Amino acid sequence: MKALSDGQLLHFFKCLEKDWEVRLPVTLPDGTRTLGSLKDGPIALLGGSLPAKPTGAFFPQEEEIFRLSERELRLPLPPERPLFVAGFTSRDLASLLFIDRFFADDPKDDLYFRRRQSALVAAVTGWCGPGGSFIKMTSKGCDLELLRDERGWLLLSHSEAGRQATQELPEGDDPLRLERFVAASASQSNDDELLLSQAAELLRADLVPDSFWNEIGDRCILCTGCNLVCPTCTCFGIRDWRSASGVERIRMWDSCQLEGFMREAGGHNPLGSEALRSRRRIHHKLAADLMRWGEISCFLCGRCDATCPTGIGIVSVMKEMVARHGGPANQRSR
Amino acid sequence: MKRTLTVCPYCGTGCMLYLVSQGGRLVGVEPSSTHPVSRGSLCVKGWNAHAFVHHPDRLTSPLVREKGELRPATWDEAITVVVAGLKGVQDRHGSDALMFASSAKATNEENYLLMKLARRVFATNNIDHCARLCHSSTVTGLTDCFGSGAMTNSIACLDDTDLIFVIGSNTTEQHPLIGSRIMAAARRGARLIVADNRRIRLARHADLHLRHHNGSDVALLNSMMQVIISQGLTNLSFRERRTENYPLLAESVAEWTPERGAAVTGLTPGEIVDAARLFAGASSAMIIYAMGITQHSHGVDNVRCCANLALLTGNVGRNGAGVNPLRGQNNVQGGCDMGALPEYYSGYQSVGDPAIRQKFARYWGGSDLPATPGLPLTRAMDAALQGRIRGMFIMGENPLLSDPDQTHARLALEKLDFLVVQEIFLTETARLAHVVLPSACYAEKEGTFTSTERRVQLVRKVVEPPGEALADWQIISALARSAGCGGFSYDGPSEIMAEIAVLTPQYGGITYERLAPHGLQWPCSTPDDPGTPILHREQFTCGLGRFSPVTYRPPAELPDEEYPFVLTTGRTYCHWHTGTMTRRTHLLDREERAPFVEINPLDATRLGLREREPARVTSRRGSIIVAARISTIVPPGVLFIPFHFVEGAANLLTNNVLDPESSIPEFKICAVSVRREA
Repeated sequence: MKALSDGQLLHFFKCLEKDWEVRLPVTLPDGTRTLGSLKDGPIALLGGSLPAKPTGAFFPQEEEIFRLSERELRLPLPPERPLFVAGFTSRDLASLLFIDRFFADDPKDDLYFRRRQSALVAAVTGWCGPGGSFIKMTSKGCDLELLRDERGWLLLSHSEAGRQATQELPEGDDPLRLERFVAASASQSNDDELLLSQAAELLRADLVPDSFWNEIGDRCILCTGCNLVCPTCTCFGIRDWRSASGVERIRMWDSCQLEGFMREAGGHNPLGSEALRSRRRIHHKLAADLMRWGEISCFLCGRCDATCPTGIGIVSVMKEMVARHGGPANQRSR
Repeated sequence: MKRTLTVCPYCGTGCMLYLVSQGGRLVGVEPSSTHPVSRGSLCVKGWNAHAFVHHPDRLTSPLVREKGELRPATWDEAITVVVAGLKGVQDRHGSDALMFASSAKATNEENYLLMKLARRVFATNNIDHCARLCHSSTVTGLTDCFGSGAMTNSIACLDDTDLIFVIGSNTTEQHPLIGSRIMAAARRGARLIVADNRRIRLARHADLHLRHHNGSDVALLNSMMQVIISQGLTNLSFRERRTENYPLLAESVAEWTPERGAAVTGLTPGEIVDAARLFAGASSAMIIYAMGITQHSHGVDNVRCCANLALLTGNVGRNGAGVNPLRGQNNVQGGCDMGALPEYYSGYQSVGDPAIRQKFARYWGGSDLPATPGLPLTRAMDAALQGRIRGMFIMGENPLLSDPDQTHARLALEKLDFLVVQEIFLTETARLAHVVLPSACYAEKEGTFTSTERRVQLVRKVVEPPGEALADWQIISALARSAGCGGFSYDGPSEIMAEIAVLTPQYGGITYERLAPHGLQWPCSTPDDPGTPILHREQFTCGLGRFSPVTYRPPAELPDEEYPFVLTTGRTYCHWHTGTMTRRTHLLDREERAPFVEINPLDATRLGLREREPARVTSRRGSIIVAARISTIVPPGVLFIPFHFVEGAANLLTNNVLDPESSIPEFKICAVSVRREA
C-alpha cells in the first residue's frame, strides 16, 4: 500500500508519461470531465464516473481497420506506448471485464486487444464520488486502485504490472486508514442491484406487456446516446470510403436504437418500431446477455440515464417497469 | 487525442460539443456536460457531426470551367476569373444584375463579409440567404408586431412554463434537444397543445392534438382568439399597458366563431374552444413554431397570428412565455443578424436610412452605398430567368435541390452568364457553376454561430481543411483585394467580429474573449452587458406591442380532380436539407437511404399501393418516383415527401408561389396526384 498527496499523485502520473500513454479524468475548458491526457486540462479524479465511457480507450468511437491501395494493404500500427488508463469505478471495471470477454471470444478482436493487452488500468474509489460521496472499493479487473480520503490518496496494486509501476512510491504506514474504506464499502446499499435483478426477472418471465414498451418507445427520440455512452455496448458498423488512392475501411460505434441497425436488405425489419428497439436495448442487457454470458451486462454505471434527453435510460426504465409490473399480483402469477 | 469545444453544424438549437481529433483527423464527438442546451446530450446528427468532414468527395482545389468541363485551377487563377466575371456582368448590365447568396451554414463573420463584399465592392443590395426559404416570414411578421424578428425567449424557459403550444414544428425531429425538453416539460405537468396534421412524435404526448388542414393556421388562430375575446379570457392589464391596435384585432377576429373556424380547418368547434381555453388559462404559455407556420404564401400572416395570440394573453416579455420561432440552420439567425438580407445591414439596420448608409460607408471607406433594397433570393431566381440577374455568387447553398420548383431553379441557374459556387462538396448546384471555390467546413475554421435563442457561440478550428480549401472569410477577403478594394484585410475572424460589434448595436458588447465558454445572447450592447435571455421585458423593441389583424387567405394551390392530394414537404430526422453532409455520414445515410412518400393506409389501399412499392407523385410542375411508406402519421388525402434526395426531388413538385411580403415559397402545400408505378 502506498500513500500519496495530490501533488505526489500528479508527479506520479507525470513520471508515468515517459513509458505510458497516460489517460485520466481531466476537466475540459467548459467544466466537462473526460478521459484525457495531462495537457488537456486539470486532473479531475473527483466527481465519480465520467460522462463518456472509459472503455472507449480500448474501443473508440471510430477507428481504422485498414487502408487498401493498388499495391498494398496497410493495417493500423499498435500504439507507440502502452496505455495507462485511470478513472474506472468498480462498475466500469465490471463492464471492462465483460467486454474483454466479448472481444476475446473467437474470433478474437485484434483491434481491441491492440490497445487493451498491454494496458494498465487504474480504478478510482473511496470518497471521490459526486459531492464527496463514497465509491465502492474494487480489486477485480484493475492493476491499480487509487483510494481517496480526506488525507489524500492510497494506492493499492492488484497485479504484478501495477506493483512494478508503483514500486518507487512511498509506502503508507496506517493500516487503519484502509480499514475505513473496507468498512464503508461493506455498508454500501445495494438497492440498485435489487432493482436490476427484479427487472431482469420480470423480463425473463415475460411479465412486461407490449404497451409498456410502446410508451417507452414513444419517448425515444433516437439520439443513440444510450448506446454510445454504454461501457458494455460493443456493436459497431463498418464504413468504406473509396477514392482514387484506394479504400479506407473504418469501424464506428453503432446503435441498436437506429432503424437501420436490423433492417434487412429487402426492407423488412424485425426491430421495426421504437417500442421493439427500446425493448431490445433493455432486454439484451438484462435477459439475453444473462443467457449468453451468464451475467447481466448492465452494471448500473448510470451513463445512459445521464445522457438520455427524455429520461428513458436503463435505470429509469427499470424503475418504471418494476413499479408498474413488479407488484404482488405479478409475483403471485409467477 | 484532442478535444475541442465547438458548435454543432446542423440545426439552430445550438448544442455545443467536443470534437475528438487524433493525428489531424476527427475521430469522434463528446457532448458538453455543462452547456445550458446540450447538458450532456446530443441528437443523432450531433453524435455524428464529425463523420462527413474527411470524406473523399471534399473539394480540394478551385475548379474553373473550360470547354464545358470543370478543371482544377490555382487560387490565383480562380480568384482572377471570379472577379473578372463578376465585374464583367457589373460593367455590362449594372451592379443589380449581380446576386449574392450567403449561407446559414457559414459563420457570422463570413455572412457579414459577403454582405460587405456585395454592398461595398459590387455596389448592390442583392444579397440574401436561405432564411428567405425558412424564416423570412418570421423576420417580417414579428418585426411588425414586436419590433424584433427573433425568438423572444430562451430554450431554458421550457423548464418553467405552464403550457407549450407547438404549431408547425416537428420539434423532436428537427430540433431534437428542444423537442426532448418539451417532452420533459409535459412529463412534469406542463400542458401541451400540438397543432399539426401529421401525427408527429410530440402529438403522442399532447393534451390536445389539432390535426387542422394544411394551410388553415390563420383560421385556427383567429378562431382561438375569437373564443378568448368572447369568453373574456384576454389579459386585460397587459393589453392596456403594453399593446396598441387592439380594437382592429378584435374586429377582425369577431367573425371567426369556432363554427366558422371548424369549417375551414376541419377541426370540430369544440377542439378550437378547448385549445383557446387551455392556452388562455395557462399562467404562462410558450408558442413554438417553425416551417409549418412560415413556409406558406401567407407565412407572414401566420406569424402575425402567433404574435397576436401571445399579445392577447400577455405571454410576451416574461419567463416561460413568448413567441419562439425555431430557426432551422445552425447559423440562420446569424445570417439574418449579419445583414445577409436585401433590405438590411447587420443588426436589421435599413439600407433605406441615409444615416445608416452613411455610418457603414464611413466605416467601410469608399463612396456611397446603394440605397434601394435588393432582391430576395426567391425573386432573384425569377429575375435570372428573365435575364435581369446575369451573375450569381452562391456561398454554401444548394438551391437546385432546396428551391421550390426545381425545373424553374435549374433554368434560372443555367441562364446565368456567370455562376460562382463556394462549397465543401461538388453539389448539384456547383456542377452548374463556371467557377467552384473549395471552402473549409465548420471544423476547419474559427468564427461564431448564433443559435435560435440568439446565443452567439464560438466555432473553433480542429483540423486543417483538405487540400487547398480555404475558410469562406479568407476567400471573400481575397476576392475583395483582387477587386482592388481595401478594408478586407483581417488577421482572423475575431478582428471581423470587432468590426461587427462597432457597427451592430445588438452585438456591440460581443468579443471573442467574452464568448467562452457558452456564448452570449443578444442584444448585448456593451462590454459589461450580460446578454438578454428574454426580449421585450419592460417594453417591446418597437415600444408597444402591435396587434396586427390578419385576413384569411387559402393556400395558392389546393387539391382538385386532377391533383387530388395535398403534398407537404420537410426534413427527416437523420438528414439535413440537401444531404450534402448527412448522406455522406454512414449511420445517417444508412438510416434513410432513399426518397419516400408517406401515405395514409386508406389512400394506399384505395390505390393498390403496398409498403416500399414505387409510387409516382406528380404535380403541375413535375413528376418523381419514390417508395411508398404507408403510415398513419399523415391523414388521408395528405402526402409527405422529404426534400433531401436528388433522385426523388420533392422540389420538382413544389409550387414556386411566394408570400407577397416575405417572398417565402409555399413549400408546405401544393396539389399532387399519386399512383402505383408499374
